[in-house]
Amino acid sequence: MLRITGGSVYDPANSINGEVRDLYIADGKFVDKESCDSGRVIDATGMIIFPGGVDVHTHVAGGSINFARAMTPEDHRRTQAFIRTKTRRSGLGGMAPTTFATGYLYAGMGYTTVNEAAVPVLSARHTHEELSDIPIVDKSSLVLMANNEIFLDLLEEGETERAKQVIAWYLWAAKAYGIKAVNPGGVAAWKYGDNASQLTEPVSGYKNVTPGNIVAQLAQIIDELGIPHPIHLHCNNLGAPGNVSTTLETMKHLEGRRAHFAHLQYHAYGGDDWGTMRSASVELAEYFNAHPNMTTDAGAVLFGDTVTITADGPWQHLLYKLTGRKWGNLDVENETGCGIVPYTYKPSNLVNAVQWATGLELLLLIDDPWRVFMSTDHPNGACFWRYPEILQLLMSADFRKECMACLPANIKNRITLPEIDREYTLYELATIISAGPARALGLKQKGNLGVGADADVVIYNRNVNIAEMFGHPRYVIKSGEIVIEEGDIRETPDGREYIIKPSFDPGTDDFLQPLFEDRYCMSFENYPVEMERIENPHLQDCKPQQ
Amino acid sequence: MDLKVIDHATCTFCGCVCDDIQLHADDTRIHKAKGACVLGKAWFLNHTTERNCPAALIDGKEATVEEAIQVAADLLYEADMPLVYGMSNTTCEAQRECVAMADLLGGLLDSHTSL
Amino acid sequence: MQKSRFLPRGRKDRTMVLVDIRETKSVKAADIFLQVRPGKDFELLTILRAMIKDQPISDAEVAETGVSIEALQDLVARMKAAKFGAMFFGMGLSMTRGKHMNSAALLTLAAEMNAFTKFVAMPMRGHGNVTGADVIMRWQTGYPFGISFNRGYPRYNPGEFSTVDVLVRGDTDCVFVIGADPGATMPQPAIDHLARVPTIVLDPHVTHTSRLAKVHITTAPAGISAPGTAYRMDEIPLPLRPALKSSYPTDEEVTRRIKEAIQAKPDWMVEGPQRLETQV
Repeated sequence: MLRITGGSVYDPANSINGEVRDLYIADGKFVDKESCDSGRVIDATGMIIFPGGVDVHTHVAGGSINFARAMTPEDHRRTQAFIRTKTRRSGLGGMAPTTFATGYLYAGMGYTTVNEAAVPVLSARHTHEELSDIPIVDKSSLVLMANNEIFLDLLEEGETERAKQVIAWYLWAAKAYGIKAVNPGGVAAWKYGDNASQLTEPVSGYKNVTPGNIVAQLAQIIDELGIPHPIHLHCNNLGAPGNVSTTLETMKHLEGRRAHFAHLQYHAYGGDDWGTMRSASVELAEYFNAHPNMTTDAGAVLFGDTVTITADGPWQHLLYKLTGRKWGNLDVENETGCGIVPYTYKPSNLVNAVQWATGLELLLLIDDPWRVFMSTDHPNGACFWRYPEILQLLMSADFRKECMACLPANIKNRITLPEIDREYTLYELATIISAGPARALGLKQKGNLGVGADADVVIYNRNVNIAEMFGHPRYVIKSGEIVIEEGDIRETPDGREYIIKPSFDPGTDDFLQPLFEDRYCMSFENYPVEMERIENPHLQDCKPQQ
Repeated sequence: MDLKVIDHATCTFCGCVCDDIQLHADDTRIHKAKGACVLGKAWFLNHTTERNCPAALIDGKEATVEEAIQVAADLLYEADMPLVYGMSNTTCEAQRECVAMADLLGGLLDSHTSL
Repeated sequence: MQKSRFLPRGRKDRTMVLVDIRETKSVKAADIFLQVRPGKDFELLTILRAMIKDQPISDAEVAETGVSIEALQDLVARMKAAKFGAMFFGMGLSMTRGKHMNSAALLTLAAEMNAFTKFVAMPMRGHGNVTGADVIMRWQTGYPFGISFNRGYPRYNPGEFSTVDVLVRGDTDCVFVIGADPGATMPQPAIDHLARVPTIVLDPHVTHTSRLAKVHITTAPAGISAPGTAYRMDEIPLPLRPALKSSYPTDEEVTRRIKEAIQAKPDWMVEGPQRLETQV
């Protein structure tokens, strides 16, 4: 049992805005005062209390990040090493941290839940093995579906009911939590060196399937299955100048449906080419603000070194050609692909400067903090452990001005950031890093300090240096256990993994088996991930809404 | 005698790791490996459950597994620069234990890849 | 061979080109065989990289490789006309003159071919689950092999921490061998050192290494009578379905018990908290 007394509590899920409240914890949950009559007391007088952070979009486990680890030994060497102790494994931080270090670093900045946003079903077993080696935090994963050949074939034939059964089957086979769509149709076309850039044009190899109907059908299926998290969408034309038109068109395809737009910054550019590229955050935010069906995460960029990894194979080939740096490409049979390119965002580079400003603009121009969340699309825009730097930029217009002084002179008229004077409040920050993403993921027990919720809580010392305050919490408590105390890692308990089991027609196996055997290079029977492989599985409800 | 049939068995002889092998086995050995290549057949049919090897050897003399584990732990613990090597013809589960052990020892860790 | 939507005639729609220094049994399976002169892989690959970009090459340079210019022109045309090209390479490329430079040249060729059509490359892995070892070491330590934990965290330096080098220099004083038989495959000076220091072997059989070891423990063979997971060389994990029951313990069990016996001893590491420093 644990009591936290006297702190200023920021708990947007329960509309508590900085009021002094006492928190009571027993058996890993928040309880009422009567149920917690002994145990340690943390005197948090003068301190700030947030619910544990929830990352809605990150890449921390599985084939792609593990390929990135192999490609960046030079970074491992210069980064922080976590030395082994009697109870804790060693690890390395950096652009692509090792699994153990990933847990230490997330917990170290007060995050207690992470959502791995891109898992091919074919290698889901690998992802789960890595997830079980990420300590402290709770985890969930999204499975890649928008370029799956069997699914696209069913759409081509108009078999939407069957497609729904198949998707439910795949989700359970992967032991995943939700569905991710990456460059719908484009990654399938990339297997033949092609891409899909027009929302209403058929994908190569198909007559009827277009990126537009892939997203609309997936969104419909996800709602019908009652999957807690909406379609998690990486739009077509990521990173390309002028792609805001594609993004807006995609949003229109999804009008009236739930949808989460991943790393929106990468989809918010105007202009015609690299020379004329500008931020289109104003028009995008305007549309977004008027459509409450959507949520998004920022995919913000910070200057510095990182490694980009995405299922968007064609884009990564372009990035390789642009930069001439190392390029890794992975094709995943019938399902998806993946590209990896190390990258350095430079303030002197006009395109990078526009990207940096665009991410912040979206966070500042979208007016409802319940619908825009903190993310850098780790490790693509920046590494997750740099989130506190972004929080500082959001909270201080003066600091933003200071940073903008380093941007190239010709950035004028390409960005809106200099005209925005909004500054985030602590309450809004607690919403975008915890309460909002938890709600979007359908994890009611997270991002919430109310009685009955998981006792994941962060306690900060007040500090005028915002980045330092959020980068170095005084205490981090996960499921009622103190895991970080004054900058030291105390405990590294295993986290749980959230999965769902949508219901599907038991005949789906018989339908899929011949198709599978015709296309895949492994046995159908060896394909689904066994339940025993999931560490501390936690089955979330998956019920169609009436 | 009826043979037990194992479908979709996985062959770990080479890096292809075929997982569409049908094995026919009795209690002591595998008699048929349908779908396996020449190398795979040799791999599957070559094993038996008969105890042809001693449980453990210490200095060439037979010993119990428990004794051997204790001696191994003592030697590894006392070494200044122990090396954990190999990990090819074994399971991922064992490999994870190997990495954990090398981490614990503060030793060296390497696989066939470096050859 | 698998038929597919894009290759409806299966094998007939595919072209297999074999490059080797001698006519092997695989030649029968191939459509085209190119015999390269030993030690000229790097030159051949570099010429191909030039040819796909229509850069000039001299006859003398081509002649050096042992492959005719006509054969190379035909190969380049086929590569560019392919819908999806794949290159597989083995130790004949990566462990002969030029070593990792050869692999780098081949990977660069594959990358550059993507300016024309889809092309990929993949190393052929020999031993069963060596890919699993790579994958696991990468996620747990950041590096695929050749790792030292001497400082309490992983460092990587092939040549310094790789086994043959360590053994030949005599840099280790105790070796734990699992799922391998270095006593049969390594250079003699390395084997000599294995015999000099206490070596511990886990293997289903009494191997060459076991015979020169201090300790041998017989374990159940993976996939035959030990369950678990193995990674295919394209990094897809597959479950093992053992057909036999063994009275020997598994590698996993024995290794874990040795680890636990070590854990029960006083830790060599000085205990103390670790601060989460500012990352760079």
